[in-house]
Amino acid sequence: MRAPTACWVAVLGLLLPLYASVPKPAGWVPARWPWSDESSLDLLAGGPINCLLLTEYTPEFVAAAANRGVATLAILTPGPEALAAARRALAAKVTGIALEGDFPEGVVAAVKEAAGGAAVVEIASRSRMLAVSNGPLLATYQGVWPGVSVEENGGRRAGPSGSAWIDTNTGFIRAVRAWSDAPLWLANQPPAKTVVAASRYLEAIADAEASGARWVVTLDEDFAARLGRREARAVEAWRRMLAMLGYFEGHPEWRAMREYGQLALVQDIAKGGLVSGGILDMLAVKHTPVRPIAPDRLNAAALKDATMAVNVDAGALTPEEMEILRAFTRGGGALLTGPPGWKDQKPEGDRITLDKAELERLGDIWRDVNSMVGRRNLGVRLFNVSSMLSNMLVSGDGQTAILHLVNYSDYPVENVTAQFPTGYKRATLLTPDGTEKALEIYKTEEGWATDIDKIAVCATVRLEQQ
Amino acid sequence: MTRREWIAAVAAAPLLRAAEAPVAPVSIAKCASYDEDVTARLGVMFDQLGGLGKLMANKTVTIKLNMTGSPGQRVEGRPPGNTHFVHPKVVGAVAYHLGRAGAKRIRFVESPWATAGPLEDTVLDSGWNLRAIQSAAAGVEWENTNALGKGKAYARFPVPGSPYMYPAFDLNHAYQDTDVFVSLAKLKNHDICGVTLSLKNCFGALPASIYGDNAGVDAPNEKPDSGREAVGHRGRRQPSKSAPQELHFGAEHEPGYRVPRIVADLAVARPIHLAIIDGVESIAGGEGPWISGIRIVKPGVLIAGLNPVCTDAVATAVMGYDPRAPRGAKPFPHADNTLWLAEQHGVGAADLKRIEVTGAAIRDVVYRFDA
Repeated sequence: MRAPTACWVAVLGLLLPLYASVPKPAGWVPARWPWSDESSLDLLAGGPINCLLLTEYTPEFVAAAANRGVATLAILTPGPEALAAARRALAAKVTGIALEGDFPEGVVAAVKEAAGGAAVVEIASRSRMLAVSNGPLLATYQGVWPGVSVEENGGRRAGPSGSAWIDTNTGFIRAVRAWSDAPLWLANQPPAKTVVAASRYLEAIADAEASGARWVVTLDEDFAARLGRREARAVEAWRRMLAMLGYFEGHPEWRAMREYGQLALVQDIAKGGLVSGGILDMLAVKHTPVRPIAPDRLNAAALKDATMAVNVDAGALTPEEMEILRAFTRGGGALLTGPPGWKDQKPEGDRITLDKAELERLGDIWRDVNSMVGRRNLGVRLFNVSSMLSNMLVSGDGQTAILHLVNYSDYPVENVTAQFPTGYKRATLLTPDGTEKALEIYKTEEGWATDIDKIAVCATVRLEQQ
Repeated sequence: MTRREWIAAVAAAPLLRAAEAPVAPVSIAKCASYDEDVTARLGVMFDQLGGLGKLMANKTVTIKLNMTGSPGQRVEGRPPGNTHFVHPKVVGAVAYHLGRAGAKRIRFVESPWATAGPLEDTVLDSGWNLRAIQSAAAGVEWENTNALGKGKAYARFPVPGSPYMYPAFDLNHAYQDTDVFVSLAKLKNHDICGVTLSLKNCFGALPASIYGDNAGVDAPNEKPDSGREAVGHRGRRQPSKSAPQELHFGAEHEPGYRVPRIVADLAVARPIHLAIIDGVESIAGGEGPWISGIRIVKPGVLIAGLNPVCTDAVATAVMGYDPRAPRGAKPFPHADNTLWLAEQHGVGAADLKRIEVTGAAIRDVVYRFDA
């Protein structure tokens, strides 16, 4: 018997949202979800979070999430019950499995086999993530908690660049993105036993997003409890977090842009990256725009418009790759090569920061890099941004550039000036609160400039040639 | 007699000058915040000093700013003008009044921390609106005096009379190629000198290329990237040999002895014609965020005078101190009194009884920095 047309339409109307709207892994905007009651899903309203990482859940909750077009990943941690837990999760119809931690290869393979077509995301250490990068996306649980580094006595720590040092994951993120096109998640958690201010969550989101990654939103226990009770201040902070996520997710074109800068840093993060990542962090603190290039993507096009290049680990390059750099210097480019014996080391175990000896070596090469860069304008020079980090991106046709600015201090920054060597026709300020304001571009002795009156946590300047 | 006692005796020779040290009136204005009309306040103060017309008309004026330390180092993340730098609104207002008084060229100078790059970079890094200050008057220029800058040679400034530390200083040309020299300072404590006002502000005139820790041994290092600890504060090394050398090198390494005397020598070598002190908002307990224990204060006052010692004496009194206090007493627990040393050089009188104060009375604006 044929069902009445109206009936099929009704059935499709139910099914389509269930299947058609569940996003692909590349579009997942993740959050660890500490609740398993269906009403908690109301918190997602108006925001872009569409992938929940769950430790406790029910089939009903999973179904309710799917009905809203929200993917669900069951988080499993290493242990003898991992495979059984994966089967239970799959039986509850989760969208996929998130293996958080470094699992034995056999277990990973068994979980993937059990998952069939369902996604299995490994949230691994950085070194494992770089070694095994065959999942739907790259994810690591290792990351620093972003912010201005504060010493025990409350003072701000100054780094070798002389400015206040900012703890950031941007160097690592940019290095990974230069090496792989896969989406990257940072799943580091807020510092334990610490009350985390709402602004710090915003900084964590912006720190990752401004460089093209996604931070897996993770709330500290206190905040989660207050939000669970729908306390007004917690809800307001949550709305701001959703707005910050929505700001970046609302501009998918930014994710497709490439790093811009007349300084190129050749590095192979798969073979190391600890030192060159440190150089990237230091260049970021100095607000020098730089484009990291993985050796296997090193070619004339990648070096187009670059005037300087840094090659940290010359021994890691093939003769062909070295020849590309030689051609770059023959064309007038300046090349800084690390001294013989330099290795861009791979992080060992859980360590993701440099030890004292590595810091000293980083200091050596940093002096040379700093001397080479000087006060040249390699894409943009920024002023009054000591508590900020920036990232400059350019569209494929080179007509549009994006300058992301993230403020890591507890105070808004006023009177930021950006100077450009290139004359743009239009500059527009965009902020997460929805502001879109034309900025005046004026001529300076060394190029062009624009002023930004005030930046709270994050702002973007869109620069257009046409 | 020890060598130190001998140096002290030699230094005390011009004691007679104290009685005849010149005086000039000092103006004080209350100004609770930078949101008030700073320009109007300064206008009244300059009128109380007799007007700036005669001093400034058709003159090149060089203004030494106080922008100590890296602009990236902040007190609680606040703009440096609200804590340890002079505030850009005061800078702009001063430029406006000098231009209005007929100055044909107004050159702002400073030797910012560890760089010989353009001063405009430091100004922008400090969150100042460069274009607003630039347009406050005609002929506004900027010069970083940490090295040669825009000049072709250093200018030599002999210390007349009996110098304490140096027979002469080699400074950036801007300190010589000027008709009028203004010290635009902040009302602050200083970790070594006790107070840092219009006199101490000029310690920053010393180019790091010659007096810096990594100054060249024989000739200036035109790319200095450090402070003046080794040469100025500690006397661990001489300045570049191209410049006049320290008179009694090795005799004294204590910063509390050395820095006040270098400042006093500078005050007589490069006279200050107009001293302006920004005490609207500041810090107490030290001169910058690198000093532990500093705190933010709001004295709400502007001070200006035509003699730097008189002006600093009044400012020291406004801070709740005796401007003629001896070493060991507040605010000079570990240093000799810079004002007294400058007075001995005949720069000006630090004796409040001899100084005419116009505008607000000292007792009405006292803000105790040690409270």
